[in-house]
Order: sequence, then structure tokens, then C-alpha cells
Amino acid sequence: MEANTATGLPAKRDLRRPGVRNLVRTVRAAASPSSAAESVPAVEVCGLRKHYGKVEALRGLDLTVQPGEKFALLGPNGAGKTTLFSILATLRTPTAGTARVFGQDVVAARDTVRRSMGIVFQEPAIEHKLSGRDNLLLMGLFYGLPTAQARRRAAEILEQLNLTAAADRPATTLSGGQRRKLELARALVSDPRILFLDEATLGLDVDARRGFWAQIRTLAAAGRTVFFTTHYMEEAEVADRIALIDAGRIVALDTPRALKAKLGGGVIRLQTEDDAQARAWLESRQLPPEAGGTELMLVHADPAAVLPELLRSLPVKVHRVTVSEPSLEDVFLKLTGRGLDGNATTTSVPATTAAGKGGAA
Amino acid sequence: MIRGIYAMVVLDLKRFWLERTRLVAGLAQPLLYLFVLGAGLGANSQQGGGNYQRYIFPGVLALSLLFTATFAAITIVFDRQIGFFKAVLVAPVPRSAIALGKIAAGALQAFAQGLIVLPFAPLAGVRFGILEGAELIGAMLLASVTFSAIGVAFASRFTSTTVFPIVSNAVLLPMFFLSGALYPLTVAPHWMQLAAHLDPVAYAVDLMRGALLGTFFFPVPLSLGALALIISLLAWASVRVFNRGEDDSSLGATRFSWRR
Repeated sequence: MEANTATGLPAKRDLRRPGVRNLVRTVRAAASPSSAAESVPAVEVCGLRKHYGKVEALRGLDLTVQPGEKFALLGPNGAGKTTLFSILATLRTPTAGTARVFGQDVVAARDTVRRSMGIVFQEPAIEHKLSGRDNLLLMGLFYGLPTAQARRRAAEILEQLNLTAAADRPATTLSGGQRRKLELARALVSDPRILFLDEATLGLDVDARRGFWAQIRTLAAAGRTVFFTTHYMEEAEVADRIALIDAGRIVALDTPRALKAKLGGGVIRLQTEDDAQARAWLESRQLPPEAGGTELMLVHADPAAVLPELLRSLPVKVHRVTVSEPSLEDVFLKLTGRGLDGNATTTSVPATTAAGKGGAA
Repeated sequence: MIRGIYAMVVLDLKRFWLERTRLVAGLAQPLLYLFVLGAGLGANSQQGGGNYQRYIFPGVLALSLLFTATFAAITIVFDRQIGFFKAVLVAPVPRSAIALGKIAAGALQAFAQGLIVLPFAPLAGVRFGILEGAELIGAMLLASVTFSAIGVAFASRFTSTTVFPIVSNAVLLPMFFLSGALYPLTVAPHWMQLAAHLDPVAYAVDLMRGALLGTFFFPVPLSLGALALIISLLAWASVRVFNRGEDDSSLGATRFSWRR
């Protein structure tokens, strides 16, 4: 069952370096052609469609996730998140199009894909009657580890996630946060290169959520790719890039900052010694403040990028600067006319069926 | 494949061990048949009370195996509900290993329950030597696998445990009553004898009874062949259902909702 040699996947984990990951990858790829596989996208989805009878859950989806990236999928219920998730998780087959995980097709090379990923499902996927340790041991067995090794691996992960103290109690007796951590532990048994999290923190209180995400950040820093869906905006902010998905299509895909900038960017407010002079100066620099008002307010696509230079060069003394960003919720609302909770503010669901109608077999 | 089956068996036996008190509770039904129904009916039978209990002992053993095995199979439905299977389904385990592991685990549980009924044999007037004992154990193992395969073949198609009593009444009890477990098939009406030829429980009961009493209704090779065939067919059928789980699965079905 040593699939890695058979499938040509790179030897595990050698890519996991905190920090300058991209640099490491580029250097490596340049240094040895044999490690070219490392630049293969972690997830690559092309023209993905999924129909359930007449319902089109996915209507042609394209996206690429780079190794080491934290990638978030956002969208209201029924947008197709779960469908996409299930296809990537090899639980469903696409109607048309392809999906690859580390270059391996989720249909054709299913078992290889399964070995390379760990999944935390929205709903519990542990056996509550058994202890955490037994759960992990069993998962190890299901991944084909010999018993002794599975036992070792279970102990290792429990240690790593600070679950050792609670490891031998039936999972039912654990707190919600601990149980979610145990789910994460279960997903880590196979030492996956990519973690899929489907609303993994749903129903947890703020503290437990924070603890969970601290864990995820550590894992991501160690080089694991993280692909997740969430309903909590502050969790989405963790992502390197976000795909906004609605009615089976991607409506936007970018970094959280750039997404918000799409809305007209961030808002900079200035209080200066001499606002009139500042205004004139700003106008001369092609950064015209909004007209009217008692303060200087300007909208810019990327405030963080212009602000340092602006503050350095502004000929008047600045008392106060505030930068505020539009929220992801706002962005989604703007793009789809609906909030992320699925409540329509304007009923404008485009009835686009034409493309997928002939049935893409 | 083997590792997958092994993992499935370990999982089910670990859970079974947590509920080992069920082994004691599981005694109630066979003992009721043996000492209440058996004593009552036996008093009226030509064979005399003690003899009748001795006669139905293998049948009651089969009953115990049958219900334990099918009950074990029902955990498939719970597994689907608790979602643990979801995690198993995304592990690189062949679906067939899950199905076969489930059958193996159910058979072991049924066999364990059968072993617990066995000490009551002398009370029913059943005595056997080492050779008969070995034959009986062999027959019990074969019966356990058969009944477990029956259970898994059904349970893999269920989406809810509420169907279990219906199946139990509509399928398991008729199979049990037709099997000749409680009466000699030789004195049964002709149509029942014919029907018994289609009843896996009948072959299993006949093998066990033959091991204990030395008289068989079916030729032994026929019984062995029939049970082997039934096990293969049902195992194949279960594997097929589990394989369908790749998409819109019965195994993973609970989680998805397509309301838009």
C-alpha cells in the first residue's frame, strides 16, 4: 500500500517549511526537474459540472489552489459548496469537467487522491461510543497502517493536538471543541498533504473556534494546503484566497483584500492640520477626496498600498487616519444581490440554464 | 483489502464489546423458545417433552444466531446516521472490504452469542461428544456467516432502522418458521418441504441438528453447497450496494440536500 512510489507523488512533506514556502518551491523546481511534481496545483478544477436530475448544482466551475495555500469557499446554502466539496472528497463523480488533487484525477485515481487528503466534515464523523484514541487507531487501520504503527500515529496526533488527557474517554463525554479537535485529529491520521474542512467549526463558541483555527494555522504554516468552507467571516479572512460561489458558479475569486477592494476599495479618512491644503494636494496627485463632508474621505482600491506613501508626502500634518474596509458580506451582497445567509435583498436570481441544458455527459 | 476487512471487524468488535451486556439480554429469546415454548409444545408432542426440547435445540440456536447477526448488520444504518462511515468512505478502503468486513464482524458476534447459548444444551437434554461438538461448531460458524450475509444484504439497503421490525417480521420469522427449526420437516406438508429448499435457515438448522442428532433432512453436500452459494450471492449483492455509494450513495446519502 505504499502508493507514493507507485504514483510518482513527491516524497511526503519535504515541502513543508514555514514562511517562505513559495520561494522554497521555486528554488526547488528550478534546482531539480524531478521535483517538478511539487509545482502541480494542490487542487485544479476545470469546467466542473454536476447535475442531480434536473437540478444543476455546479454549472461549470474553474479554480486552482496552490500547494500550501489556505483557500476558502464562501457562498450561501445551496450554492454548490457541498457538491464541490463532495466531488473533491471523491464521494461524488462530476457530470462533466475534471477535478484533480495534486495532479491526480478524483475519479480515475481515486485511491491516490484519498491517501493525500484529510477531511473534516460538517457533521460528526467519529464513533462517539469509542474513545478518541480508538477512533484514531481505527482510522489508521482503515488507511492500511499495521496495528502498532496506527497506535503510534494515534498517540502522536493526540499529543500534537493537546488531546492526550481526554484521549481515553468515550468521545461522547468530550466538549464540543474537543470533539471538533478530535475530528481534525482523525483527518490528520493519514498525514495528508491537503486538509479539507467543510464548515468545520459550525456551532462552536468563539473560544473553541479560535482554538481550532490556531491549530489549522499551525498546520498550514507547516506546509499543508487547507481548503475550507465557512459561514464565519472572520474565518474566511484567514484564507490566502477566497472563491465566492453562487448558484453553482464562481462569482469572484481573489485574496480577501482584493475582493473587498472590488467593492470600490477601502475607505481612508484623514484629519489634518489644514484640510483645505491637503485636499488641494490630493487632487493634484489624482487622489481626489469625496466631495463635501467635514472630513477628507477617499475611496481607493487598495488603501494599504497608497497610505504609507501618502502619509510621507502629504505636506500638512496629519492628526488622525482611519482606514475601513468593506466586509466580505458586503462584497457578496454586491455581486449576487444576496447575503451569504441566502436571504435575497433583491430577488434577482438569474435563471441561467441555457449552457448546461443539452446535458454535458 | 484484507486490512480494510480487518479494520471493519476491529471497529465492530470494539463496539460490540462496549455492549457486551447484550450477550446476556440476547439469551432471553432462545431460552424462552427452548424452555417455555419447547416445554409447552413438547408436553403435547408425540416425542415427549424432553425429546422435543432436544429436537428444537439446534433450531433455537439458529434463531439466536439469526437475530444476533441481523441485529449486528443494522449498525450499518446507525453508522450512516452518525457519519463515521463518511470518514471511512474517504479512506482508501475498497467498498467491498467494508461490506465483507461487516459480514465477518456480524458473523463473529452471532457466533459469540451462539456459544453462550450452548451451555444450556444439557438442560434441554442435549449431550454431545467432542466430534459432534466440533461438527456443531463448524455448522454454527457457517450458519453465522450465512445469517450475517443476509443481514448485511438487507441492512445495506435500508436508510432507517425503523424498517428493521418490518423485515424481521416479513422475512426473518417466515424463514425461521419454514426452516423446520421447531418441527421435523419430514412430517411437514409437501409445499413446506419444497419451500424449505429455498430457505437458507433450513439448511443451517439441518446441519446443526444433524451434527447433534445424527439425522439429516437434506444431504450434507447439498446443505454445504446451498449455504456457500447463498453466502457468495449475498456477499456479492452487498458489495454491489456498497459500491453504488461512489455517487448518491446509500451510505452517504443522509448528508446531502439539494433544496435551492
